[in-house]
Amino acid sequence: MLLLARHPFVASRSSRETALRRGAALFPRKLASLLLLCVLACSTDLIPAQGRERAKAEDLWSLKPLAHPAIPQGFTSSTNAIDAFLGRARHSRGVQAVGPAEKRIWLRRVTFDLIGLPPTPEEQSAFLEDKSPQAEEKLVERLLASEQHGVRYGRHWLDVLRYADVDENMPAAGGIHLWRDWVVDAINHDLAYDAFARAQILGNRAARRRVISAAGHLTRVEPRPEDLFALGFLARGATSRTDADQSIAFSAVETISSAFLGMTVGCAKCHDHFYDPILQSDFYAMKSLFDPLVLRDMTLATTEQILEQGQKVEEHERELNRATEAMRAYVKPYHDRLYEERLSSMTPEVQSAIRKPESRRSAAEQKTYDDYYPILRIDPPKIKAIMPREQVKQYDTMLAQIQALKAPAPLPTFCSVEDDAQRAGQPRYVLTSGDPERPRKSQPVKAGFPFSGGSPDFREGLRETFVDWLTNPANPLFARVAVNRVWHWHFGETLHASISDFGALGGSPRHPELLDWLASEFVAHGCSMKWLHRFILNSDAYRGATSGGAAQERENARIDPDNLTLWKFPLRRLEAEPIRDSILAAAGTLDLRRGGPSFEIGNQRTNSLRRAAYMARGYRSSSEAMPDYLQTFDAEDGRAVCPRRTQTVTAPQALFLMNSEAVNDAAGLFAKRLRNRAGADPAAAVALGFEIALGRDPTGEERQIALDLLQGDADGLKNLCWILFNLDEFLYVR
Amino acid sequence: MLPPSLSSATALARRDFIFRAAGGFLGAAIGGVLQESSRVNAASGIPNAPGPARSVIFLFMCGGVSHIDTFDPKDNKWAGKLIDAVGFGDNLAEMKRPVIPCHRAFTRHGQSGTPVSDWFPHVGGVIDDIALIRSMWCHETNHFPAVVEMATGHRDRIVDHPSFGSWISYALGSENRNLPTFVSMGRASSPLQLNGGYLGANVAATPFLTGPAPIRNLQPPTGSTAMDRDRQTRALERMNAEFRKTYATQSAIAARLESYELAARMQLSAPNACDIASEPEGVRALYGVGASPTDDFGKQLLLARRLVERGVRFVQVCHAGGGNGAWDSHGDMESHAPLCRQVDKPIAGLLRDLKQRGLLESTLVVWTSEFGRTPWSQNTTGRDHNPRGFTSWLAGGGARGGTVWGATDDVGYRAIQNPVYVSDLQATILRQMGIDHRKLEIEIHGRPVRLIEPGSEPVLGLVS
Repeated sequence: MLLLARHPFVASRSSRETALRRGAALFPRKLASLLLLCVLACSTDLIPAQGRERAKAEDLWSLKPLAHPAIPQGFTSSTNAIDAFLGRARHSRGVQAVGPAEKRIWLRRVTFDLIGLPPTPEEQSAFLEDKSPQAEEKLVERLLASEQHGVRYGRHWLDVLRYADVDENMPAAGGIHLWRDWVVDAINHDLAYDAFARAQILGNRAARRRVISAAGHLTRVEPRPEDLFALGFLARGATSRTDADQSIAFSAVETISSAFLGMTVGCAKCHDHFYDPILQSDFYAMKSLFDPLVLRDMTLATTEQILEQGQKVEEHERELNRATEAMRAYVKPYHDRLYEERLSSMTPEVQSAIRKPESRRSAAEQKTYDDYYPILRIDPPKIKAIMPREQVKQYDTMLAQIQALKAPAPLPTFCSVEDDAQRAGQPRYVLTSGDPERPRKSQPVKAGFPFSGGSPDFREGLRETFVDWLTNPANPLFARVAVNRVWHWHFGETLHASISDFGALGGSPRHPELLDWLASEFVAHGCSMKWLHRFILNSDAYRGATSGGAAQERENARIDPDNLTLWKFPLRRLEAEPIRDSILAAAGTLDLRRGGPSFEIGNQRTNSLRRAAYMARGYRSSSEAMPDYLQTFDAEDGRAVCPRRTQTVTAPQALFLMNSEAVNDAAGLFAKRLRNRAGADPAAAVALGFEIALGRDPTGEERQIALDLLQGDADGLKNLCWILFNLDEFLYVR
Repeated sequence: MLPPSLSSATALARRDFIFRAAGGFLGAAIGGVLQESSRVNAASGIPNAPGPARSVIFLFMCGGVSHIDTFDPKDNKWAGKLIDAVGFGDNLAEMKRPVIPCHRAFTRHGQSGTPVSDWFPHVGGVIDDIALIRSMWCHETNHFPAVVEMATGHRDRIVDHPSFGSWISYALGSENRNLPTFVSMGRASSPLQLNGGYLGANVAATPFLTGPAPIRNLQPPTGSTAMDRDRQTRALERMNAEFRKTYATQSAIAARLESYELAARMQLSAPNACDIASEPEGVRALYGVGASPTDDFGKQLLLARRLVERGVRFVQVCHAGGGNGAWDSHGDMESHAPLCRQVDKPIAGLLRDLKQRGLLESTLVVWTSEFGRTPWSQNTTGRDHNPRGFTSWLAGGGARGGTVWGATDDVGYRAIQNPVYVSDLQATILRQMGIDHRKLEIEIHGRPVRLIEPGSEPVLGLVS
């Protein structure tokens, strides 16, 4: 890196053009990160692109206070404000929204959306039979109350919070799933979004730090016990024991600013931000909030278990000592002979230094001893070489016995973080290129954070004061960013296109008034995520069909080809997790249990049938850490905040669906299930297959194709199930 | 977020999704299908003059081969003496270590008379086609960092640097629409050796296996007959028709069809490319296929030749990967012996076979590991890691056969004469492929990023 830093790029015009063309021809997903550019810039002394200046805080739309615009009137019959805002947008552009989706198509859409699973045939008929005007609202309530909702939306949030089971030598790997399970539970219990953020940064969800007890005493609010696990969010930042302290703080600044503020503060690690009002000193000011943090391992066991473990360890040590002493005594004559031979070949000075007891060696003599220590080590092969053959066997047995003495399995632990008093007192500086070894003593740093508008009063504590500011209703970024994320998960489209960049380079929002209206209502409703889901899902916008008539499509595509006004509901491919869950659900083998360690670390086949949200993800440079399946279907490895899953269409996906053992086995079980339920009636089996896989009845033509396939073919039903898994419609939500 | 320069160029209705190949070339090829109609030929531009080489076969010995016991003979006069050395791995503390003797016999081979140890008799037989570099060096002292340095030309791992093969793949594209530009065989030391990094996964390596199914999920599981599958596929198409008509304007849906068509073409063409059983017995014997212990590596190298013949740009074959790599002989140098027996004959066979087919001029064969081994032991009969001096070699593709470039010191520790850094070696390979290393770059957010940093240059003494 140092080598690189001395040579700024000087590119000729032609090669720049070439590179531009090449850059355009590719779609490197990692390019999506502005942070990458910054890291590259730091490593190569790049200067910012010309023609752009850093925005001023007062000019940046996202830093302006949340507005609560009046709901436009007269553009829709819907009473939902979302439809009023979108109705006005459509009206001004002259586009007509397409009509609502068919009932069962909507059922499939909302079920996948909220719980990540397809609706069962029973759920389909119950919904069809419910003719009440509140049928849709009731369904949304039922799904929001499902425990599987937390698995689905927890997974969304974990993408943003860069959850990983493995990240090089991440010290928190052992118990990290407890943080994941905390997130899932928080979603299920509708933990307010501000408390959700607060708990993961402070380990305590309570907004007030002191309460007056019934007896009139002022007492501190103790954290809820399980909020300890929320701190996995910070502990996850360390990727090795050796640099744990530094990486926790770096990762905290990068992740929190991107996830909760939608700002790429991480870009200011090595230089002032190119485009946004964030100085390098801001980065280190924010980092110093987290600098006092160190990892803390906690044993998760009862008192009895801990005492019992102590006994086991002691027993093990006793056995080990006994065996080692016996072995040493057995080989002593040979060992000593070899040692003496080797030592006597050394110079007299070296010999005298080594023969002295440690307490009497001078520093120079001790250095000699240390230098020669490896050479004087006598390993078993050398002893065996001079031992009588009949003794070697006995020696081997003794070595094997020692090898076989395994230490007792450690008790489960959870890796958390805590403030370290000594670290808290250390002075902080701007670090050159983010290198802890290169502090700039001329640039001391005081705790703070960007956009705070002054010097915060840290008497409540560093992180406490920051979180109070972060989650304050007056912080316009906090709610705007959250509302935009949730909107994106429901529609696959956004109110502001750059989901994790509300800075100058992210541009202006598509629907600024709707974004602000929703954000301010979200705050007014106590930052309830379930309120937000409910409000969005009960809009006409969410009910719309994914396509209209040919004429309307043509006309609208001319005016609003990018569907910015949501004149139709966007057709979306399912993500990796619901695809696998749907296949197992059709086979009837999906295991819906929640929580616990992830399965399939790397390519270890565990044959687990649990939901894919529990499939391991992560990164390790020395071996694959994530199952191929997740990589093939675009799941990220958790090394950085992932605001939006890449959506690819590739031949490996086709090959997986066509030929993998997993799909083949599931097709067999799916067919068996159809046979059991429909008996000898092929038409009933076909209808049920469509219901399970696609959430609808087959059309007349589809029924005929399927029946032709079943005719006179014992494997026909399995082949039909294979087809259902491979249909475009199976992977897409309408 | 895409920078303006990228987003404006994505005119081909790709707003909804991005083509990427999780497994490498399949997606790259499908990207190619759509690119051809819309964009300049991606293969023009970077190469400023056609080089002699069209393809690279990159042989990577995982764990660190001892140059002292193979291609860089040293006088045993230091053996048994203690010399100033450094600690193991990241521990660079100074300490005394005993130089261990080299038990190999070296024979001068060919017209060049280059000495090669008795562990590589077959390679010795083709030494006149080989340009030995006895003065390689890198920075990193431990396996994974050194593997990453060798694979990417960069040391930092904060940025997701692409592997060398993906840079070639990116620069030159494929000559065969149904095969990848970058294939990797054997177990690598690190997944980063296959990584496309910021160049995108569509230039990443596609792992190939030797055997009837070279790619994962390429063939239907046993039990489905071709007729069944054919019938199913036709029914699938008919059942998809309505949905595809409704969403005809969605590019992702059109791409679904393409992805299935490409998968089908792959099922037809890949097994053929990989059918080494169809090679004449004499050719297979040349590689040691069908004989122990050369069968595995021999098959991989024979497959490498077949892939290169079909236009694959970069074939990487990793030998003895997994963990630190089996070449990591700390305990006893004799553990090199079986590994040498596995690779010696296949490598020589590959060079002879390429030559007899007239392919050696257009195929650059590279042989290296992440680093070499020290003259001293850690109080064993094996050797420690040595990034300060080691041997790599080039053959074919315009490499100057029969030369020896550079030298290490008396004991074989430091490269002291004409040292060649990893990036110099890479620049040399690029040059032979007709790529100007100064121009190989990608623009990221309006700025160029390179494989080869200024300061590294092709080693002209290695090539003719």
